[in-house]
Amino acid sequence: MSSKPFSTANERRRDLLKIGLGAAVAAPVLSMAGNAAASRVQSNAHIVISGAGAGGIAMANRFARSLPNARITIIDAREDHHYQPGWTLVASGVWNKSKTLSKTGEWIPSRVNWVRGMVTEYDPDNNQVKVSNGETIRYDYLIVACGLQLRYERIEGMDTALIGQGKGVGSVYASIDAAAATNDEISRWISRGQGTGLFNLPPTALKCAGAPLKMTFTTLSRLEDSGRRNQFTVEFMTPSGGLFGVPFYNDFVKQRFTDQGVVRNDFWTLTGIDADTKKAYYSVRDGEDQVKDYEFIHVVPPMTAPDSLLNSPLRFADDSPFRDWMEVDRETLQNPNYPNVWGIGDVMGMPSNKTAASVKMQANVLEQNFLAFLQDQPLPARHNGYTSCPLITGIGKAMLVEFGWDSKLLPSFSFIDPKEESWTVWVMKERMLRPAYYAMLEGKI
Amino acid sequence: MTLTGILTVLWYSALPWLWLIALMLVIFLVPQIIARMKGYGFGSTGGLGSKILPPIVAIASLFLLPIHTQSTLAYVNTWVDWMNLIGASIGLGIYAWLVFHPICYLRNRKA
Repeated sequence: MSSKPFSTANERRRDLLKIGLGAAVAAPVLSMAGNAAASRVQSNAHIVISGAGAGGIAMANRFARSLPNARITIIDAREDHHYQPGWTLVASGVWNKSKTLSKTGEWIPSRVNWVRGMVTEYDPDNNQVKVSNGETIRYDYLIVACGLQLRYERIEGMDTALIGQGKGVGSVYASIDAAAATNDEISRWISRGQGTGLFNLPPTALKCAGAPLKMTFTTLSRLEDSGRRNQFTVEFMTPSGGLFGVPFYNDFVKQRFTDQGVVRNDFWTLTGIDADTKKAYYSVRDGEDQVKDYEFIHVVPPMTAPDSLLNSPLRFADDSPFRDWMEVDRETLQNPNYPNVWGIGDVMGMPSNKTAASVKMQANVLEQNFLAFLQDQPLPARHNGYTSCPLITGIGKAMLVEFGWDSKLLPSFSFIDPKEESWTVWVMKERMLRPAYYAMLEGKI
Repeated sequence: MTLTGILTVLWYSALPWLWLIALMLVIFLVPQIIARMKGYGFGSTGGLGSKILPPIVAIASLFLLPIHTQSTLAYVNTWVDWMNLIGASIGLGIYAWLVFHPICYLRNRKA
């Protein structure tokens, strides 16, 4: 594999040494540190946060510290909080699902009012939202962090209840139980000793865009470990013809698929499945529709913003490529039509950026800009499009993929080559990213 | 990522393992204290066990650490991988010496 260093070897070694020495001395002290970014601002405003996922909770914790007099309300019905980046590890048989579960209440600061319900209607003209529990809540400022909607219903015959029923249907996205059930389905397929596995990408933007690839690579590891790899057929379907948004990684995965005997079907879109007969139906761009038999299929649903958002004035205009998502200025995260409305996380219309790593970057930008906006100051921070995906290329190795707008690589660690597969990156994914995620939820990073 | 951010993540990563760190500290301190009460020092003669076991621990760690992380030595690929693995193995070897050396000293003294 070609490799272009991003800094000199001396710089990389120096950085590593700094971290090693600093860790021993300073890390415990940091546990008591507050939010590093923001100074405190006096405001009595009522801030409503729609959604208690990664973005919503991170903002609730940050605002609870930086706006000591503000009234903060967070709206979400979910009692459980899921560490979703771990779902691919569960679906690959590496993790037990309990490792991804915690309680939403553990992460919400005590001074934040938690309303149990989901926003059913956004009314930014009147500065209010309607909630599924019947309440109408008025706000001075609104943070939309409601995540996205999985559109399994757009695949005819697909129902998440099919996952794990012994019919060969898996989908890591549906839920943590579905991720565990997907692992069971893959195990059943391998134990049958033969057959075709179909892995899919959706025709829309998707959260954790690397997950469909990770599922393919970890399944290939398991097939190879079974010692009967040549008895299985693995196919990968791409609606757009592309596998990854960054050209280097797109080429890398294509080559790796070729090396590992994965058949690629470009411009194929999954339109339906018949779980009883194990057939998948595809539309093919500039070609005839196709039907494929399978023993296992990994379904990745189309995704959009939730209906409540799509039915509101907060969505992008119909002629926008992001019409199924919330409209924000991609650098300031502010809605251009309703300046008191801001976005964070999966709900926003952007070329990529539907990962927890993106939220980490966005939370910092949003807090700085929001506090400046409260004080009638120019917005100081700009989102550079940062997103990250530890691309698992097999069980036990991964590449640290980090990039921003225009696919520009933005490596966080000068000593880790983003173009090399690495055990260290696997250990980071498997051992360190969950603590990092929890630090992000608490607004510490 | 800032240095502060990296250190914060390292600390959060260590939190679930504080019990193990504490246990290892106890296992290190108990033989050290008992042996030092009986005249032990790092320069004392430890015995065969303290010569053989620490290298065995270090070499075994080279193979076992990747397995412990659900990986394999075959995936240790970059210079950072090797530095981390060798560093951790040497660290465990030194730890083993710090534990076994006073224990062997006490055994020799008894004999």
